[in-house]
Amino acid sequence: MAAATASPSERTHFALFGLEPTVDVDVKAIESRFRELSLAWHPDRAPAGDSRARLEAVSRTAQLNDAFVVLKDPVRRALYLLKLAGIDLESEAGAARAPMPLDFLEEVMERREALDQAMAAKDHARVQALADDVRAQRALALTRGQDALRSQDVTTASHALGRVRYYARFLEQVDAFEEEQLT
Amino acid sequence: MKGFLQIHDPLKPKGSAVGIDLGTTNSLVAAVIQGKPACLSVDEGESKLLPSVVHYQPDGGVAVGQRAVAQLATHPTDTVKSVKRFMGKSLGDAETKKLGSYAFVEGSGVVRFKVAGGNPVTPIEVSGEILRALKRKAEAHFAGKVEQAVITVPAYFDDAQRQATKDAGRLAGLDVLRLLNEPTAAALAYGLDKGAQGLYAVYDLGGGTFDVSILELTDGVFQVKAVGGDSALGGDDFDRAIVERLLTQRGIGAPSSAQIAELLQLARAAKEGLTVATEATIHFEGQPFTVRREEFEQWIAPLLQKTGVAVRRALKDAQVTAADIKGVVLVGGSTRVPAVRRFVEQSFGKPPLADIDPDQVVALGAAVQADLLTNKDRQDEVLLLDVIPLSLGLETMGGIAEKVIPRNSSIPIAQGQLFTTFQDGQTAMDIHVVQGERELVADCRSLARFRLAGIPPMAAGMGRVEVRFAVDADGILSVSAKELTTGVVSSVTVKPTHGLTDEEIEQMLLDSIDHGEEDMARRLLAEQQVEAQRMLLDGHKQLQQNGDLLSNEERGVFVTKLEALEALARTTKDHHLLKQAIVAMDDIAKPFVERIMNRAIATAAVGHRVEDF
Repeated sequence: MAAATASPSERTHFALFGLEPTVDVDVKAIESRFRELSLAWHPDRAPAGDSRARLEAVSRTAQLNDAFVVLKDPVRRALYLLKLAGIDLESEAGAARAPMPLDFLEEVMERREALDQAMAAKDHARVQALADDVRAQRALALTRGQDALRSQDVTTASHALGRVRYYARFLEQVDAFEEEQLT
Repeated sequence: MKGFLQIHDPLKPKGSAVGIDLGTTNSLVAAVIQGKPACLSVDEGESKLLPSVVHYQPDGGVAVGQRAVAQLATHPTDTVKSVKRFMGKSLGDAETKKLGSYAFVEGSGVVRFKVAGGNPVTPIEVSGEILRALKRKAEAHFAGKVEQAVITVPAYFDDAQRQATKDAGRLAGLDVLRLLNEPTAAALAYGLDKGAQGLYAVYDLGGGTFDVSILELTDGVFQVKAVGGDSALGGDDFDRAIVERLLTQRGIGAPSSAQIAELLQLARAAKEGLTVATEATIHFEGQPFTVRREEFEQWIAPLLQKTGVAVRRALKDAQVTAADIKGVVLVGGSTRVPAVRRFVEQSFGKPPLADIDPDQVVALGAAVQADLLTNKDRQDEVLLLDVIPLSLGLETMGGIAEKVIPRNSSIPIAQGQLFTTFQDGQTAMDIHVVQGERELVADCRSLARFRLAGIPPMAAGMGRVEVRFAVDADGILSVSAKELTTGVVSSVTVKPTHGLTDEEIEQMLLDSIDHGEEDMARRLLAEQQVEAQRMLLDGHKQLQQNGDLLSNEERGVFVTKLEALEALARTTKDHHLLKQAIVAMDDIAKPFVERIMNRAIATAAVGHRVEDF
């Protein structure tokens, strides 16, 4: 994310969709609004000869697409809200300001070791079992993070969402493994 | 009986924007004519399919289509087929060399084929010849210039392959309005036809590529949810599976290129035969080789399984299940194979849709999009929202690829990523742009490298560089880098490492324009010569049959003018001059034609009562 360049005057993803910043969005409504705005802004709708209008359409649509991806996904939405609250976990500096507790890091290392072993042994059942466990943990952490965001508790939110990010990375590794096994 | 000059249909639109399906095996051109998309005839026998085969002759001439196919067996290295599989590839790419028995030019990043009649040619130039042939056919159809086109590409094409396709369009003198993903085009052809709503899957198995797309159609918006596929898997591989078995059975360890070329053609015919028959026999070097359908289906089963993997991944990316899919659209000639249809039906749990000819559906959809993009009256009907097929990222420390824009992001899109300097006093940063899903840079496609220089010396970690990726509506990437404390900027439109430089493209463009004008003049002259011949034949015939309608004096003038036209048609190189003479001849013939028509009506009226008319 381009955290460093976001100026205060830049509209938030929520504002772009005519929403107040909130954890709880109606994804169906977001999707429908996305289609309406696409119809209004897409460069294919811009007059063919007008290159300035086209350029503007491209940049607005790019913004719209970016906002849509963030808003419809609960994890990215939560991380974005945290960023609006001043902590950008997706930038190095932000992550450094919200260090994870040592016991959590140990937990992650243990899980990773188990995953590496299962992947090396090509033990699909074990990989899936580990992944299921992590999915459950991620859901828990996300709920905790969302609750904290609702009550403006930024510190708790950043710790919970920090966990979510570790779990998400773990699951990405599982996905990559499954894909490589398939192909 | 009309005048000597054929009257052009005034309703026929001139110089329309066309849709082009630049296929691995066949290419098509289509246009929206009076509100409906239709494929134009492009090859011998009014065929809508132009085989994507280009033959280079020793005299520098080029043949495209069936005429080139005829040269495949005898001139395999001078006749390039399936060139699409080489687009955007380098000789170093793993699959490149196994694709055929070409004479490659070693030592350059871009694949070049050594062919008869001149310099080695790149896949871009070969594709350019195919596009040029299609453009000419469309121009002949519309009797006017065709300069705008939507060209389709497999959804799974990477940036290099897209760039190469766009460059080929430029070489052919086309303004490429849009590179459109093939499955999206197919969905467009279906969707507009049926006013469909809901989730659809497109299973597109062509000659050399496989694509699957999941789309949602809602209120006039076609939103691509996910695409997947394999840009090196297709019906050609089915043919190869047959050839391999035959070679093994005959104990031919090192077949010649001519043998392979012949066998591939025979295998293809056998495969096509097996769609209706339960066995097919190949006669090769005087001996029969019989393939039973079940055997063939066993041989291709692993290939179908590979498509199944891509289907599952696309469904997962779209966050839907097979049961959510309302309809499955089949695209590509290879979906005619019964085993493929069964496989699709099993994968999605419902019989696929195939009411539009799977060979034509992509070109038809491209024509619809070309019309939507150029015809103001239609802009409100539908909007296409497409995605990028593969993640775009940057190389970071340790050779790890860091994703900046994940696959299946809607385009256009722009994203930035912040990097810090990692050495004290570092004044430059190398930016390596990659594409692909794998974690290691070495496993991804390298798109471009460039260097941001002029960073003022600072302590490690203090210099902050924002790298910004922007993908346009064609799915083509440009990248810029900016050092944030000083504002030093460097940007590139990513030219793929395995592509051609802009200078090379310009040079090719210049060359082709030179030839293009010559070719055009020659073709226009040929057309007028045909016209003149027709008029001369007609004129002599009418003189014989209806000469009595002219006075002696009139007949004398008429004959003299006919002879003059005949002489001019034989000698002149100027098509304008010939055309003027033809028009003048038509004027002279007018009174004669009128009298002939009156006589014809009078003759026809004899024996009929007034009520009959």
